[in-house]
Amino acid sequence: MSVRVNHLKLLVGGVQLRDGVTTVTEVLGKILTRAGLSAIAQEKGYASTIYGAHQFDPMMITEEPAISFGDAAYDILVALEYDSNPDAPEQPNRDTILRHGGGVKPGGMLLYDSSTGVVPTDELEARGVQIFPIPARKIAQGEMKREVVKNTIMLGALLRILRFDDDLAYFGKLMEERFARRGRDLVDLNLTAAQRGRAAVDEICAAKGYKSGVRLEARPAKKAVYISGNECLGFGGIVGGVRFYAGYPITPASSILEFMERYLPKYGGRALQGQNERESIRAAIGASIAGARTMIASSGPGISLKIEEIGVIGVTEQPVIIVDSQRAGPSTGMPTRPEQGDLNLLLGAGHGDIPRIILAPATTEECFTVMLDACEFHDKYQCPIFFMTDLNLSEGKKTVLESVFDQKPKLDRSTLLKEEDIHGKEYRRYEITDSGISPRTLPGTPGAISKTTGTEHDESGFVTIHPVKRTQMMEKRMRKVETYLREDWKKPFQVGDTRGNPVIVGWGNTRPVLEEAREMLVQRGVKAALVHFSYIYPFEKAYVSKLFEDASAVIVVEQNYSGQFADLLQRELLISTRRIVKYNGVPMHPTEVADAVLEAMKREGTIVRIGSTQPIKVEVLRNEHEGD
Amino acid sequence: MSTKGIKLWDENAVPRHQIQWCPGCGDFAVLAGLKQALTELEIMPHELMMCGGIGCSGQIRNYLNGNAFHGTHGGALAYALGVKMTNPELKVITLAGDGDTLAIGVENFVHVCRRDPDMVLLIMNNGVYGLTKGQSSPTGGLGQTFETFSEEKPPMVDPLLLALASEATFVAQSFSGDVKHGTKVLVEAFQHKGFSLVNDFSPCVTYNKFNTYEWFREHVAYVPDDHDVTSVEAAQALVRDFARRGKVPLGVIYKNPRRHEPHNRLPIWTEQLENVDRNVVLASYR
Repeated sequence: MSVRVNHLKLLVGGVQLRDGVTTVTEVLGKILTRAGLSAIAQEKGYASTIYGAHQFDPMMITEEPAISFGDAAYDILVALEYDSNPDAPEQPNRDTILRHGGGVKPGGMLLYDSSTGVVPTDELEARGVQIFPIPARKIAQGEMKREVVKNTIMLGALLRILRFDDDLAYFGKLMEERFARRGRDLVDLNLTAAQRGRAAVDEICAAKGYKSGVRLEARPAKKAVYISGNECLGFGGIVGGVRFYAGYPITPASSILEFMERYLPKYGGRALQGQNERESIRAAIGASIAGARTMIASSGPGISLKIEEIGVIGVTEQPVIIVDSQRAGPSTGMPTRPEQGDLNLLLGAGHGDIPRIILAPATTEECFTVMLDACEFHDKYQCPIFFMTDLNLSEGKKTVLESVFDQKPKLDRSTLLKEEDIHGKEYRRYEITDSGISPRTLPGTPGAISKTTGTEHDESGFVTIHPVKRTQMMEKRMRKVETYLREDWKKPFQVGDTRGNPVIVGWGNTRPVLEEAREMLVQRGVKAALVHFSYIYPFEKAYVSKLFEDASAVIVVEQNYSGQFADLLQRELLISTRRIVKYNGVPMHPTEVADAVLEAMKREGTIVRIGSTQPIKVEVLRNEHEGD
Repeated sequence: MSTKGIKLWDENAVPRHQIQWCPGCGDFAVLAGLKQALTELEIMPHELMMCGGIGCSGQIRNYLNGNAFHGTHGGALAYALGVKMTNPELKVITLAGDGDTLAIGVENFVHVCRRDPDMVLLIMNNGVYGLTKGQSSPTGGLGQTFETFSEEKPPMVDPLLLALASEATFVAQSFSGDVKHGTKVLVEAFQHKGFSLVNDFSPCVTYNKFNTYEWFREHVAYVPDDHDVTSVEAAQALVRDFARRGKVPLGVIYKNPRRHEPHNRLPIWTEQLENVDRNVVLASYR
């Protein structure tokens, strides 16, 4: 049997809080990153409860960074639960196996806690799956006298299965960093537990004659970190000059608040936990008035509550970066499930017309790099800067090369006027300019007074209902859109030739999956192209129109019910689109997208609903008998 | 007080003849008292940040010199909070009505009392929503006795008691019929290190036909000199005692500064933001 080196996918599952699923994947992700490998764990599954529900964390492990996290097919399944899941009491220690066993590849491996009994695994064994029942909890409670190390026993067993870190050097070092302050005993306890797990696997291999088909080998370490999208975007904000952050706890944006509370003070900034969603955005507007680069973050329900202030930001021209870490809506929706359902909300947030910029990073890396742009747009365009991620990208972790974080921010604050800039000149806060951008002074600047208001106003900031002044001010604000398109909008990411070929179109965090789906199609002989937007709105119509002009089909793939981005493209470009949508709360996977693209290519107006039980729908866009 | 000092406050402002308050409005006296207080405190207009509420009262921000912001109904205090947290050197005052502060904005009122930023809130309290033509506000019904109440017509909110219950550190009350006293209270509010509430009764001559100047003159009484302003129990007792006697107390009712962590002005300029040590963050994720 040939052994596949440094390319596998695994899934760790168990009972939320009790079994420490993410403790295992977090340690593994960190170790692998240090060992020069690449890990992606961006398909987190958990529930909106603290304790008791099923939780799982798939992880793709490769030598060179994988394009995406791949399909829901696993070489290794790790089931941490030792007993029933309160969520499924009829399934003692087999909940993870029942839920994900079908995803284990032939010849794969199953590692589970057999403390409360052996699970019948005939079906899996028939597919050539090697079974490793380890009584981890029993060993932890009995031999080790410390139940808490049951995870470490399982992790040690997993490392053995992966035939990685034989001397536990990587693992030991990490334990030392974590526990050294609390005493050497704790480090040794964990090392012993990991060795005990290894030994248990050794025994089973010897008894059953198992030989693993996959293994990991350390490579020369690259300078890399194991980090989440929320952490990257928070870090991007700090490097980009954000010094005031406000947020109200909400999944999946809470970890941005935690990050900012931890790190902003170290850079002289402040992070405020608002008493509600409105206080957060309002305090951020106040901080912006006083001169700070400001950021807030929330998810759909919280953004809905902030909408009144988005109009204020637009009209007072006091900028704030607004991160929307999307989760499945509507209403409270599915708080722990991903979706791209907030686009319409952000496109239309607020009554009346205001300029707005909507960005949606495609990758963990872009959470940092696109945020640097968002920070510059904050100052330059003085309007709401939306930054859309979703649960997978926000909370999921990935190995990211440190060179990504070397990018230098512009930190251009030239739209803030200082005393010497206005000396001897007449300063008007809302001066009518060709670019639509009116430089501002900060309160505290001698010789300058800023009167600002969300009510319509004249150049000096005084309230007006004068038709001409209103028209001039509205047009001034909206001219910022043209300036943005001319000077700062970035073209969509493109692979493949769009002419004569089907074009897959996406936005935001789906890019890696769509890239991989496109490669699959190319391998199947379909010359599909991919056009993917990170700078999603506004966009340059002429440029995008041209991209789609000669395409054989424009197939917009997104994770919401209606196809919100497809609607936007149709509205802005007057083109017809075919759609692939998914809204069951499960992330998109490459193979299902590739299959759906083939389906969508068949007929104009096709809407493929991944995961739906309804038949595929073909929308009649125009009456064929029209003009008869 | 020099007239020159006062005149400074008329620059960068809507000219007096264009002020859109009804003749006799209590807000005129608040404006006069505010200018007087700012002059006495030798605050410069560029150092002043005013956050105006929605309604007649919030217009005051444009009727005198100084930086001003005006956003949503009920939001003024939260904007002010962000301003002050970012630049503690600014003198920050929120100028809002009773509806703005105690109805739609009560969430901010309660929590800003707790947070205790070093800034002033001046409620221009007239018991009605004037700009929308006289609907009753949460402070409506002052001094009136009602036989019955209903969901539509509940008893009034006393901002002083609410502030005390919300851990405010400076609670005072004034009446625009006594500008001299009101100015004194406002000066003390600005000097207090922490959040200062001044509830000023500024009668609405158009829509509140009960709480008129005349009514207030009959019912106001000054806080006695021997009142212990550092005791929250004494403060609560005073407010209740005055109410029992059908009186409205004027003066500083509670003043007890709290210790705060010191905070500098946040880094703003490019040279303060560049060349940050990225290792502080990256080290945790290696």
